Amino acid sequence: MTYLHQIWTIAAKDLRSEMRTKEALNASMAFSIVILILFSFAFDQAEGLNQILGGLLWLAYSFAGALVLNRSFARELQNDCLDALISSPAPPSALFLGKAFANFALLIAVELLSLGVFAVLYDVRLSGKFGLLFLVMVLATWGMTVIGTTFSALTVNLTMRELMLPVLIYPFLIPVLMSAMILTTDLLAGVPTATNMVWLRVLVAFDIVFTAITVVFIDVVLVS
Amino acid sequence: MRQNLHFLLFAIFAGILLWTGNTILSLPVQVQNVGAYKIIYFHVPAAFTAFTGFFIALVASLMYLATRKLKYDAFAAGITEVALAFATANLISGMIWARYAWGIWWTWDARLTSMLVCLLMYYGYVMLRQAITEPTQRARLSAVMSILGCANVAFVYQSIAWYRTQHPSPVLGFREGGGMGPGLETPMYWNWLAMLCLATILASVRMRQGEFATEIDSLRRQAHSH
Amino acid sequence: MDPREFQYTFYGLMIVWLCIAVYVVSLALRERRLKQELDRVRRMVEKG
Repeated sequence: MTYLHQIWTIAAKDLRSEMRTKEALNASMAFSIVILILFSFAFDQAEGLNQILGGLLWLAYSFAGALVLNRSFARELQNDCLDALISSPAPPSALFLGKAFANFALLIAVELLSLGVFAVLYDVRLSGKFGLLFLVMVLATWGMTVIGTTFSALTVNLTMRELMLPVLIYPFLIPVLMSAMILTTDLLAGVPTATNMVWLRVLVAFDIVFTAITVVFIDVVLVS
Repeated sequence: MRQNLHFLLFAIFAGILLWTGNTILSLPVQVQNVGAYKIIYFHVPAAFTAFTGFFIALVASLMYLATRKLKYDAFAAGITEVALAFATANLISGMIWARYAWGIWWTWDARLTSMLVCLLMYYGYVMLRQAITEPTQRARLSAVMSILGCANVAFVYQSIAWYRTQHPSPVLGFREGGGMGPGLETPMYWNWLAMLCLATILASVRMRQGEFATEIDSLRRQAHSH
Repeated sequence: MDPREFQYTFYGLMIVWLCIAVYVVSLALRERRLKQELDRVRRMVEKG
């Protein structure tokens, strides 16, 4: 099998397994909607709501994302699946990228669905802005996915895995979340993106640098 | 041998502190209408020491992954903890100065926030280490986290710097728009050197404790195997 | 130097060294605990 084929096989396996039970997807979706509703109550009629819209959205995305990312490697613990995957001929980086792509797909799905709920609850018009918004979502979600999948692999054997993962990844994700929040807020408010190019660059740079680092070091985390 | 090195470093540390203390005391009370500015002579070197520590931890982690010798892991853990102590000192002294100068304890400005984020990241590192009992696995995983953490320091710092700037604009000579005036800047660098000496001593002590812990571990296995 | 300024400068400087002192104390405590543990385990090995 070629490298790309290996990545594709693992990603497809993860997505297929997730589609059968839809555990993580449902939990994540539900959590995201609940957060958006709660925020809607909390900030109902608040002035200056426009300035925090981006922040709200990405907070909901990051909390919901942690649920999905946690499951990523944890689902392999039963029946020694993780050992089987690691000892397969596929290199650990292929395993990592396959899972990362699967997580990415799941996260984007949750985000798109939540975006619909968000547009309804907060009375946001998305026409004409959706293209750029989607670009921001893709870039920031890939950053979240790469870091989250790595830490999922790192914490897979720990007893307090569900607790440790959010605690470990949120400080790491601050550059990503900050850039995404600023870009989204300005996009939704109609500010031209030219003023925010620096944040797009931060997102792209973060994605490139951390994809490179994590692919290189995932060997160490998974195998030894 | 190690003890002698510790004493020597401590002597250097104390000597430098006495000298800079004397210099700082004789400096004018206010510079450019900024009051209580002498805090900077310990606030900034603490930050420098913390960042140096994080960087050295990165190097030690890479060395561990290259050689798989646990002593590098012990050193990385030690220097990270020491850097955390200095980072906390920097953060709290920054808050105290902010309270004096701007009347608020906290603000989401570039340097305070990025130091807080670094603190959170590396405290996560300490928690990760505490959660893993097996020494090799612990060394391996915390090495990777240290590498990721140090890589992120640059991103965190730059992105937050672009976001807000309430912090005093660069005052140090090597940044554009900086320069504190003749003779005012050098005590800061001397203090940095002093803090580095202290950090080295503390890291070395902590590293030796790491080695003790490894010895205890292996002896315990030996005892239980009988 | 007016008293408020002096107070803040003093606290600012103290807190730096206090943080480091707290860490040093924690190191010393850890050292004592580790030494006790080491002696205990050594005795255990010699007995067994």
